[in-house]
Amino acid sequence: MGTLDYVWMGIQAVFQGPELFSIFGVSISVTLIMILGGFLTGIAVGATPGLAGPIAMAIALPILISVFGYTPDALLPVMGFLIGVMKGATIGGAVPAILFNTPGTPDAYMTTLDGYPMTKRGKAAKALRVAHFSSASGDTFSDIVLIVCAPFLALLVEAYLDLPEKTALLILSLSFIAAAIGGSPAKGLLSTGLGLLIAFVGTGEDFYPRLSLGSPMLNQGFPIATSVLGVLIIGAVFKEMETLWRQRQSRDIASDIRIEGDQRLHWADIRRLLPYVGRSAVIGTAIGALPGIGSTLAATLGYTVGRSRHARTKTEGRPDFGEGAPEGIAATEAANSSVSGANLIPVLSLGIPGNAAAVFLILAAESIGGFNPGPSVFRFTADTVNPELVIAFGLFTAMMIANLLNWTIGGVFMRSMGVMVRIPKHILLPAVLLLTLTAIYVQETRMEAIWFALGFGVLGYFMRVLAISPLPFVIAFILGGNLEESARQAFAATGGDPWFLFTSPIAALFMLASVGVIVFTARKTKERS
Amino acid sequence: MTGFLKTGLAAIGMAVMATGAFAADWTPPGPIKLMIAFKAGGGADTQARLIAEELEAKMGWKFIPEQVTGKGGLNMAAALKDQPNDGTAIGMAVTETFGYNMAAANAGFTPEDFTGLTTTAGFQMGVVALSSKGWTSFDDMIAAAKGGEDIRFGVMSPKLADLAYLLGQAHGVEFNIVSVKGGKGVMNGVNAGDLDVGFMAGIQAKGVAAGDLVNLASALSEPLVQTPEAPTFADLGVEYNADGYFVFVGPAGMPDDARLALSQAITDIVSDDTSKAGGLIAKAFGGASTISGDNLTALMAGDYANAGQLMAAASE
Amino acid sequence: MAGKSSSNLILGLCILIFAAVLLGVWIPADVQTGLIEKVRRQVTVGDALAPTVAGLFLLLSGVLLVTVERQAEGQPRLDLRNLGFTAGMVALIFVSLIVMRWSGPLAVGIVNVLGDGDLEYRLLRDTAPWKFLGYFVGGTLMISGCVAMVEGRIRLRAVLVSALAVLTMIAIYDLPFDDLILPPNGDV
Repeated sequence: MGTLDYVWMGIQAVFQGPELFSIFGVSISVTLIMILGGFLTGIAVGATPGLAGPIAMAIALPILISVFGYTPDALLPVMGFLIGVMKGATIGGAVPAILFNTPGTPDAYMTTLDGYPMTKRGKAAKALRVAHFSSASGDTFSDIVLIVCAPFLALLVEAYLDLPEKTALLILSLSFIAAAIGGSPAKGLLSTGLGLLIAFVGTGEDFYPRLSLGSPMLNQGFPIATSVLGVLIIGAVFKEMETLWRQRQSRDIASDIRIEGDQRLHWADIRRLLPYVGRSAVIGTAIGALPGIGSTLAATLGYTVGRSRHARTKTEGRPDFGEGAPEGIAATEAANSSVSGANLIPVLSLGIPGNAAAVFLILAAESIGGFNPGPSVFRFTADTVNPELVIAFGLFTAMMIANLLNWTIGGVFMRSMGVMVRIPKHILLPAVLLLTLTAIYVQETRMEAIWFALGFGVLGYFMRVLAISPLPFVIAFILGGNLEESARQAFAATGGDPWFLFTSPIAALFMLASVGVIVFTARKTKERS
Repeated sequence: MTGFLKTGLAAIGMAVMATGAFAADWTPPGPIKLMIAFKAGGGADTQARLIAEELEAKMGWKFIPEQVTGKGGLNMAAALKDQPNDGTAIGMAVTETFGYNMAAANAGFTPEDFTGLTTTAGFQMGVVALSSKGWTSFDDMIAAAKGGEDIRFGVMSPKLADLAYLLGQAHGVEFNIVSVKGGKGVMNGVNAGDLDVGFMAGIQAKGVAAGDLVNLASALSEPLVQTPEAPTFADLGVEYNADGYFVFVGPAGMPDDARLALSQAITDIVSDDTSKAGGLIAKAFGGASTISGDNLTALMAGDYANAGQLMAAASE
Repeated sequence: MAGKSSSNLILGLCILIFAAVLLGVWIPADVQTGLIEKVRRQVTVGDALAPTVAGLFLLLSGVLLVTVERQAEGQPRLDLRNLGFTAGMVALIFVSLIVMRWSGPLAVGIVNVLGDGDLEYRLLRDTAPWKFLGYFVGGTLMISGCVAMVEGRIRLRAVLVSALAVLTMIAIYDLPFDDLILPPNGDV
């Protein structure tokens, strides 16, 4: 089994999976249809203010699992759908940002700066075309980087990192996430610490379920779906509902959009946009590869870099950034879209999720079983087939198919999504709440899970009120078990060496970096205040 | 052990004849809750779900499968104990849950709080290493350990950790015993080189057949089906073993007709190689082992009673 | 800017208290093995170590909040009216879930009293229409209640839309999939 054999098997796994139907004798595999379905769903969801990719992923997951079952055959269709949603939501978010000055997803905020002015000048369709072109380019670039890098990184990890180094790497990721997200290291540490603590309730090696307060309800600990969906989605719903209540009446939305003059994207336009798209794609990919730093920062950075270039090179008479420059849309959209692919580099090669979409892919893999994202996936076995590796290449194939869909039908579908902004948010959000609770129940089948989720929703709400990012909480919760387990194993494997985190140079370096990253950001915050 | 199994099967046969009409009349009064003590998607979970699926198709009973994982099956046992005992709530775990784990946890319940239905398959528990390590026999590993090499021994339960410790003790070496989550975790660790050797309960079959992995010893009271030449724990001077089964149970005091109907229905499915569940069991565990009725009650009670000896031996 | 918010200080103090309770009381009392344990003559990591690390994260965060970040710019302010609204909404959801849990058994009880029957909800939880009752009533209450709270009034139209939304969810989850169970039917 060579590398190419695995690539080929991955492609086949997507195209020759269980057949759904056939056209003219060509059989269409169910995975292909799921990718398409996810992609279209994603565009629609992204284009709806108040909904975002993760919500659709959360609600779809239990339904998909019950359709496809708990078998490894389910992995590609289910994860293909989720990947489709992830990619669709990225371009969908730009639609209301450009048409109505309302970002559909948080990372599309910068798109409003130039998108809406273009709409006001009668260039709405052109703005959408620019957004689509840049987004699709950034996304495709990022995926290629992922496909090339993830296997090598995983092989490096397996070749050079032993149990103590793996433990130190987890600690480094956690402290990096704590320091990097949310702007304040104290709040990042708080979010991380809570996530870890919650992960440790009810678990552990001893037969007594620790920290369970003697209550049988906590014996099994907190199911991953309750804490992730509770903090990320229910918390967001509470906060949004509160905002709606404060505004009381929903804002009136300009109903007629003027379309004037040439709306096409010419080759000359593309040539002018490409430098911006290229720079932003590199920025977005680099940021995406670091766990925890989201697409919002990538969009901001891409936009800033683009603006300074534009100020230097623009010719007389063209609009500035902020006044309806297509280059501004390109810089933003290419940057935030190129995060999604690169974000899967730490997921697939290390098992460390970097953003909400990655969290849901891990959730899917955990729920279905048979695929454990991490370095062991990329074991190129010679005699036997490593099924996880086939799945990994199948996922890469699914991403490329989604990109192909994006380039072909994505633009047309995206431009028809302007209507989604009319959905009344204050009815949609409670419905999302009930759907999420139902999704949790269907997976856990006990009322306690719903109570937990509600509690985590309140926690997520308070985090948002107090400007604490909930993402470190979720990532720490997911990694907490791994961290403890690998520390335990490293300690036992080294024969009980209390300095196991410092005896090898690589592990010591990781530990030094984890302390350094916290100290560095704490000092920066201090200077600012 | 085979003799014991045969007696068990014969006993069921007679019991079936005696009360056959009785059992055939039983239908569950409502949907049956099936509590699975294993992580979703693993081999054990798949086995439970396939059995439920085929019972639904064959008997027309309705199953509601549910995951109740953690603490070596004790969480499931705790939840199942208080369920109604009319046959509408059953669970699947391993016999170790009702033996060693229940004894060690001191959780306030014993096997007497449950009604054993039937086992489905026995473990093919081997001590497994990568072939590329160059060890072809158990003695090679011991020689390596005596030569000063640290041996990391992967185990997936406290009972197995005790056994690994006793195994080392019997040969005058000290293993670094590493607890890992599940057989899959042991296999990944061994494959990645994080572990040198570890217990695997059937998951190693494919790798051993391909020559990537090697069964150095059988942790059972009898040789492994796949590698009969590997010594057993008794041969290696350890008087305890890792004999164990997947087992279906219900809460205590289940009426005889319900107990018999359920265990008979499950036995029929798993013993049939052409059924999906039976096929899976034949592939991974070398065929079904079904112990039920009084034999199962005795097996569970015996495991529970003997657990203390193993614990005492391992803490000496 | 009118007066700086001191929310970081208050939050920091709360976290410090929580971390102290966690490290000083909760972990020692509610974890049965220590930081490290000696089993089978091997020293291993006990169950208390990991929560202690989490507690240290919290402790450090509290210390940073009351020292370094005490004066940080742009600290959020808590608005009691907003919190009140959210508390009300959570209470409403809580009540809806209680209704969801008990409507079915209650209806069965009433039928038993009226018709002198001997039904048991547990055995009917896979039988329509019983199995939908709790979810439908509780779910409609939840959605229409939230909508009414935001709108500040109860409209029949909103209730009808909510009921329709719940029916759609039942159709999505229950009709096509035999083995998905709606709340609360896995508990009873």
